[in-house]
Amino acid sequence: MILVPLMRVVQITVLILGCMAALAAQGRGRGQGASPASVRPTPATAPQGFSREQIDSGRTRFAAQCGFCHGRDAAGGEGGTDLTRSALVGTDVGGDKIRPLLRSGRPDKGMPAFTLADADVTAIVAFIHDQREQAANATGNRRTVDAGDLQTGNADAGRRYFDTACARCHSATGDLKGVAARYEGLPLLQRMLYPGSGGRGAGPAPKPPAVRVTQRDGQVVTGTLAYRDEFTISITDPNGWRRSWPTSQVTYTVDDRLQAHVEQLGKYTDGDMHDVLAYLQTLR
Amino acid sequence: MTCWRTCRRFADAYVGAAFRRPVQGGLKTALYILLAAPAAAQSVDPSALLKPPADSWLTYHGDYSGRHHSPLRQITPDNVGQLGLAWVFQTGQTQQIKATPIVANGVIYLTTPDNIWAVDARNGRQLWRYSYPMNDGFHIGHRGAAVYKDSVFLTTPDAHLIALDARDGTVKWNVVIADAKKGYWSTNAPLLIRNHLIVGVSGDFDNLPGILRSFDPDTGKAQWTFYSTPPPDTPGAVSGGATGGQMWMTGTYDPDLNLLFVGTGNPTPVLNGEVRPGDNRWTCSIVALNPDTGTLAWGFQASPHDTHDWDAAEVPVLVDAEFGGAQRKLLLQASRNGYYFVLDRTTGKNLLTTPFAAANWASSVDEAGRPQPNPAKEPSRDGRLVAPDEAGGTNYRSPSFDPATGLLLVSAHDAYGIYFFKKEHGKYGWAGADYGVYGHGVLRALDYKTGQPRWSHDLHGGAGAAGVLTTASGVTFTGDSANSAIALRTSDGSTLWHSGIGRVGNSPITYELDGRQYVLLGGGTSLFAFALPQAR
Repeated sequence: MILVPLMRVVQITVLILGCMAALAAQGRGRGQGASPASVRPTPATAPQGFSREQIDSGRTRFAAQCGFCHGRDAAGGEGGTDLTRSALVGTDVGGDKIRPLLRSGRPDKGMPAFTLADADVTAIVAFIHDQREQAANATGNRRTVDAGDLQTGNADAGRRYFDTACARCHSATGDLKGVAARYEGLPLLQRMLYPGSGGRGAGPAPKPPAVRVTQRDGQVVTGTLAYRDEFTISITDPNGWRRSWPTSQVTYTVDDRLQAHVEQLGKYTDGDMHDVLAYLQTLR
Repeated sequence: MTCWRTCRRFADAYVGAAFRRPVQGGLKTALYILLAAPAAAQSVDPSALLKPPADSWLTYHGDYSGRHHSPLRQITPDNVGQLGLAWVFQTGQTQQIKATPIVANGVIYLTTPDNIWAVDARNGRQLWRYSYPMNDGFHIGHRGAAVYKDSVFLTTPDAHLIALDARDGTVKWNVVIADAKKGYWSTNAPLLIRNHLIVGVSGDFDNLPGILRSFDPDTGKAQWTFYSTPPPDTPGAVSGGATGGQMWMTGTYDPDLNLLFVGTGNPTPVLNGEVRPGDNRWTCSIVALNPDTGTLAWGFQASPHDTHDWDAAEVPVLVDAEFGGAQRKLLLQASRNGYYFVLDRTTGKNLLTTPFAAANWASSVDEAGRPQPNPAKEPSRDGRLVAPDEAGGTNYRSPSFDPATGLLLVSAHDAYGIYFFKKEHGKYGWAGADYGVYGHGVLRALDYKTGQPRWSHDLHGGAGAAGVLTTASGVTFTGDSANSAIALRTSDGSTLWHSGIGRVGNSPITYELDGRQYVLLGGGTSLFAFALPQAR
């Protein structure tokens, strides 16, 4: 077996501190943290009432503009979510949520803004809703991951692994108490592996890390991480204001607790992964 | 000085093609050059691609080698810190610029799906724009155009190839590359080799044979079709029932061997490997083809029996250099599966296989140099934690080879994903599910002989979206995964300059006009040109 350890980037001032509250801190209630792929579609809040012509027109428009990422059937493609199980689509009425999203895009997640004629947008909305209704009634032959698929681990073995690898930051009776009641199936697995993954909807992002910036005049400013790259460090201060500095002008530390999850990714066997999931599922 | 140098290069190219008979005496040669230069400047002769002039970027990779390296030296490690904005061209579109600009005759040709712009390379003004009619093909991205004589070529989302008049963008002809109704589309920047225009397609969501086609650049007449996987019911097929292996990226070419090198894509169905046993040749491979006939000279499979969507479509970089104590014709590829390969491009024999990014999917490397997939890492009902993720250890944007340092600069991605497949996912198209878990982008400078990084530069985010350009003066241009175009010292990766133009989504290029070197990078939906300050 060729196992290449994840080549770690050396950050000058990154500190790994304290215990991790990330898994536990977010998402009360199932819907919030649910991945589209493992949650059965909920009934739409209102009948959509599109014509067959609009749906058919939407099928071709959708395939051309959206199909690569979201799949021609809207059930997920390369990198994009399964829209038939999307919470946003589930609460959309006649395009009131989808339409503005198409106009603005989601640049942070790689979705461009679209400049399409109104009729084309309406047709795309019609098609997405139609696919959603069909998916709700379909069985088999779908790109789904059900919670039942993931039950191959051993909870006792998982507890032992947890005690060795995770207990430095986490506690079954503390931050993770009741975690299995908040998440299940794929979303729980995704959050277990890396709470910030989110790419295809693994719940809300973890709380941003704490940052401590020391200015040249010696003054120290603290807050939570808003943005960081090679040239800029930006925080949200305790009053909610954004503050930014060129990285060349200050020194700073980031309490990047998630780095331990990154290191663990290179250590898990698939058996370990399923065992720990099985153990977490006992924490109700 | 620069003008003379440029004119001479054009003339060399022109003379090389048009005056094959021996010329007598320096005076006569000089006369030919003086006469030939103005005429040549209006038309791109295919032989110019053998020695591209410094005032141009005539083909997707800049030249046939795929090194994405420029001989220009005006911008240096010492002065790059003074680099400033020369102009911006705003597409006014919502589509991110992913294409490599093509530059010929002082004109830039820039593409997005359904669109091509001709832009003045001196000032960023639009000269003309052509928009292809609304169509039902995939509008995921576009890699770039190709130029030949007075034509510029555009591939379309519905898998057509269009020839436009380079002067005004009027359509000369329009031919079908492949049937879009079956699920083919094209983002391809065609490759011109003499009188062959080589064009690839995509088609990942249907079980379709992998095809690469050649067309006559003058007439659009089809010349040949190469199948990486066979049409259904082909006798003696070696693909093991797999389709796919689409050749959606621009290849490279060795004129001495007369071989075209192209990377092939993943097999279909994508994640379901059960229904296509065996290696699934020639998917996830590098194939060497005769550009006159499309016949296969050799193939090397980077990922036998892929079940993770890891195309080997990344640029096959051609380098003539010492390896193992002998001067050799090499082919380098940093592949999406996380492995770096060195091949002898004359024969296809593997010389080196080593990972350059996180990779946990192979159980061994066989004697042919191919990583062997570990069956336990194939997508399963309960999910497998696999490195790299679907986006790969790198992706299609151009790496760069710097001859002075012997470094291959690659936008690498250490990433993990979880891969699922169960029978209910079927055997058509994607046929499975996968989810990215975590990924981090790093520019790695690999020693071409060992594949080991001599330095790494953090890109501060997920997978980088920018290609890499090196210049002979020792400067590397790329974009980080955050918000900036960056220039690094090629020898050690230290940062020399940056500009927050937005996320760079294409491969940078450079050219010199009127004695001024320009560097072009796409930031979001605009194209930015940087140069050293001028007197006024």
